Amino acid sequence: MKEEKVRKMVRERYGKIATSEKCCCGCGSEVSESVGYSRVELDSVPEGANLNLGCGNPVALASLKEGETVIDLGSGGGLDCFLAAKKVGAKGHVIGVDMTPEMLDKARKNAKKGGYKNVEFRLGEIENLPVADGIADVVISNCVINLSTDKQRVFNEAFRVLKPGGRMIISDLVLLKNLPTAVKESVEAYVGCIAGAEKKTEYIEQIKRAGFQQVQIVKETPLPEEMILDDPNAEALMKEHNLNKKNAKEILDSVVSVKISATKAQN
Amino acid sequence: MKKKLMDILACPIDKYHPLELHVFEEKDEIVEGLIVCPKCLRWYPIRDEIPEMLPDGLRKEAEDLPFLKKWQASIPEKIVKEGKPFHLKQ
Repeated sequence: MKEEKVRKMVRERYGKIATSEKCCCGCGSEVSESVGYSRVELDSVPEGANLNLGCGNPVALASLKEGETVIDLGSGGGLDCFLAAKKVGAKGHVIGVDMTPEMLDKARKNAKKGGYKNVEFRLGEIENLPVADGIADVVISNCVINLSTDKQRVFNEAFRVLKPGGRMIISDLVLLKNLPTAVKESVEAYVGCIAGAEKKTEYIEQIKRAGFQQVQIVKETPLPEEMILDDPNAEALMKEHNLNKKNAKEILDSVVSVKISATKAQN
Repeated sequence: MKKKLMDILACPIDKYHPLELHVFEEKDEIVEGLIVCPKCLRWYPIRDEIPEMLPDGLRKEAEDLPFLKKWQASIPEKIVKEGKPFHLKQ
């Protein structure tokens, strides 16, 4: 699959999601609760910030402290940025980077609605972060890196922007075994977060190769079934490739959601 | 965009920091402006309060050149004539 084509599709798809209130992998706040957000958290952010595109709640695991600087890779509607903003307080900063203009627009409006003063969004690519070296305490990301066609570069960039002693906490989808070729090659499945997913072992290797230490899988969970079985995009995809529910279940079983933490050593 | 953000912004291409800021319209935050990398002469628009720090491949000439033209008078000549990824023809 051509990288350019994938990137364009991802931008287009997520642009549409931002403006249409539709979502990609599973809908409804039930999915958000099942991936690790509490009802209180979901109710605390502006309506529209949660697009149900995540597969974990990295902020909950990041143990953010007051005054810290946080970078969110692929900030979408801003949900994780807003949750992080509360934790780091007025002296902290949260910077959301997203390559989809429609998403940023939505996030910015949400920030205004919620009166967040310590959150900034910028249009950028996570493979080319517009952020100076060594300024972040924490890098978070939620179900986004699987969409990148150059994950190694994303991890290298995350490492670069972290301070010595800084940490990266990410949720993402990874594979336990190879996907059927038809699915792997489908751009549709790519934007639906699945075909772009990396093998778990390779994903971890890439994080280590970037320079991270103490790389740990904090939690590994199967995908909520409704994420695929009730999703209209997934349904269309299954039809296109003549897959039945049993095949879908097979695919579902080869994808897991992981929460990973890693640190950049103190010099 | 808040001015303070300049403390942590770097050029996405060569990671150069600090970048130059030119403000065209300001309310509570910078509404329109330009961020320039003095090292590689790339320029990045701030539109609608959002700094657009995309790499060359994701930039759109049809949207970016009119922006350069609009603020031509307030932008250093070097950027107008030699800036990357797009500049105005002589």
